Amino acid sequence: MTQAPRQHEITELLAEWRDGNQSALDELYPLVYNELHRLARRYMSRERKGHTLQTTALINEAYVRLVDQKNVQWANRSHFFAISAQIMRRILIDHARRHAYAKRGGGAQQVSLDEVAAVASNCGRELLRLDEALKSLAEMDPRRGQVVELRYFGGLNNEEIAGVLNVSENTVTRDWNMARAWLYQQLTGSGAN
Amino acid sequence: MTPERWQQVSRIFKSAIDLDRDARAAYLNAQCSGDASLRADVEKLIGSHQQASDENFIGGVAAEAGAKLLIDDALESQTPAIKKGQQLGSYLILDPLGAGGMGEVYLARDSRLDRTVALKVLSPDISQDKRRMQRFRQEAKVASSLNQPNILTIFEFGEIEGLTFLATEFIDGETLRDYLRGNRLKISEILDFAMQVLAALDSAHEARIVHRDIKPENVMIRRRDRLVKVLDFGLAKVAEKKASTMQAEESEAATAFKTAPGTVMGTVNYMSPEQAQAKAVDERTDIWSTGVMIYEMVTGAMPFSGATTSHTIVQILEKEPAPLGNVPAELQRIVSKAMTKDPDERYQTAKDMLIDLRSLKKRLDVEAEIERTSSPTTPAPVAGTEPGKRRVLLLALIAMAVVTASILAFNVWRSSRSRTGSSVTTPVAPPVERTLTYWVTVQKFKDGRPYQNPFPLAGEINFEASYHIRVHIRSPEAGYLYIFNEGPPTASAPAEFVVVFPSTTANNNSSLISAGQVVPIPEKSWLEFDKQQGVEKLWLVFSTQAVAELDGVRQFASPQSKNLITNVGQNKIVENFLATNSTIKPELEKGATLTTVKAQGNLLVYAIRLEHH
Repeated sequence: MTQAPRQHEITELLAEWRDGNQSALDELYPLVYNELHRLARRYMSRERKGHTLQTTALINEAYVRLVDQKNVQWANRSHFFAISAQIMRRILIDHARRHAYAKRGGGAQQVSLDEVAAVASNCGRELLRLDEALKSLAEMDPRRGQVVELRYFGGLNNEEIAGVLNVSENTVTRDWNMARAWLYQQLTGSGAN
Repeated sequence: MTPERWQQVSRIFKSAIDLDRDARAAYLNAQCSGDASLRADVEKLIGSHQQASDENFIGGVAAEAGAKLLIDDALESQTPAIKKGQQLGSYLILDPLGAGGMGEVYLARDSRLDRTVALKVLSPDISQDKRRMQRFRQEAKVASSLNQPNILTIFEFGEIEGLTFLATEFIDGETLRDYLRGNRLKISEILDFAMQVLAALDSAHEARIVHRDIKPENVMIRRRDRLVKVLDFGLAKVAEKKASTMQAEESEAATAFKTAPGTVMGTVNYMSPEQAQAKAVDERTDIWSTGVMIYEMVTGAMPFSGATTSHTIVQILEKEPAPLGNVPAELQRIVSKAMTKDPDERYQTAKDMLIDLRSLKKRLDVEAEIERTSSPTTPAPVAGTEPGKRRVLLLALIAMAVVTASILAFNVWRSSRSRTGSSVTTPVAPPVERTLTYWVTVQKFKDGRPYQNPFPLAGEINFEASYHIRVHIRSPEAGYLYIFNEGPPTASAPAEFVVVFPSTTANNNSSLISAGQVVPIPEKSWLEFDKQQGVEKLWLVFSTQAVAELDGVRQFASPQSKNLITNVGQNKIVENFLATNSTIKPELEKGATLTTVKAQGNLLVYAIRLEHH
């Protein structure tokens, strides 16, 4: 296995970020994005016969590859998961956006004669709508926004999220309920503003 | 919502959802004391919370839902980039020409014969399938034996450095699709193109090759002389094969395959009814598609085109396209005959259609000639003709003009007669018939969460307890729809029905659906079944009038009672109604994923049977 070239650097960047240096995140972001994207694509092309994408496995692998394990503190790991969830969100949204635009327009419909295809092509648009709603939520309530990001985009469970956010698992559960209900309301148009 | 309000609402919400109904009401009273709008906000959010958890809203992980998007990308990235100037065997790549359904196309120079070719490099996901490649090879071989000026010549089919490619003659021109974009075509040009396509088909059909994918994208027009070349003979079948094997292997990631690059099946718009229903097709499917193409060349619009694929398919199966408009009646007749839904009523051979088009073309040419010579602005004196002879010629032309004018007059009369319709001359009422088209989407569940991608219910499947379904229904006309679920019969208990439609979760609780409306039931969540095994029936009842006997079922359509009809009398009424009205078997047309049910008379009653294991 080839080792990611900038392991040491990434470990340091994570530490800097944790210590409050926001510009470290700007440097970290593209590195992790590329790695996660590469892994996701590889997973999907290899395991397309019947395997669902395991986000946490993916992030774990990226973590092992990117971060210098000898020099690591546990807190780095939760930071890594937090940023990875954010990045998985970006990756999916980038794809969804590209799809939404690429598949639009033209008189005749490109199809595979199949309802499934229609269901799937909707998923891009639904993701985009969810992303927009999530942005509004994060503006009002950053922590609940992050809970959704970690759980839905990062694939973390409540216990892991509690670790990342340094709150109790109960709080995560409550935050999740509230955030989900609100997002549901936004997306189905059933709620007040 | 302001952040302050949000804080307020969320504080009340998080305590309230843990309380039971009565305690919650009391709690809300206390907390919102007098603030009705605050209370409304909280209650709405509680309602959403309930629904979101019932429907398992964002219950999975985004990457699972978005996996398809990533797969598309993964497949794209597998396609090796071929660069300008690269040597592939004896081919020197000159320029990329574009991407087709089966792979990338390049302009290349074949150094052996010093000729320019179009090199189509198949995408790996196609070339890696041995069985399909075997078939492809066979088809390409047969297609390359076709030697007709309107068929694109295949030079070679082979493999270099692991890449499978097809070398064909290179046509400097554009596809008919591109040509249509820039030009409004004259009738004479349309006839000319159509005749050349049919000449190509005629010779292919003679060799027992069906094209299956005739559309403007597969017709090239050579720049210098407007010679028509039909592309991709024999390839459509290979592509089609792929889709059907995929269906057989229907599984988790199949969704992703279907829209992956290279599997695109083209458009449904040109498909014949038999093709749209995935029935066996023969030469006559190409005749239909040619008809559609002529229609498009004339009007600039598709004869069959709906908002979605399913809508388009339903139109192909059921709708008559709008007339061509201001064209010779004979052309309208030819196009209508080519686009007759029953293949037996269509032109049976490309040659027959070609002959009709040819005589129309001749006639129009003669008419144009008369127009030209008799027009006073173009006197066009015939040099060297003696005055006497010239008079004879003129007389002959005039005589022809009279004949033509009467033919035209006859045609105008005939078309106006057919337009005014049967109501004037032949008062035969059309038979009353009700039609419903439905498809069912299945979502597997595991541990109470959606598991894997949803798939369409097509043909026989083992219907597991963990399968949740959504039914989609559509009718070409407005009417009243009722759907009941009847569980497996039990020896002791009388039949009990669940009201699936009208529903509080679909169509705004109304049983009236409009013409062409696709009604998903339920709209957002899924129908689930209990554990009891046997045959589940979904009874469909459709009529253009409200059905009085079934009027009373609406009150049972409520999530609290799980939509079960709890009243013995009402159950009896439904049971009797279904028993009496389901004696006439409706006619079924089963497609790959759609089923169309037709019943004579005003009322359609039909049971979808789901084997539940």
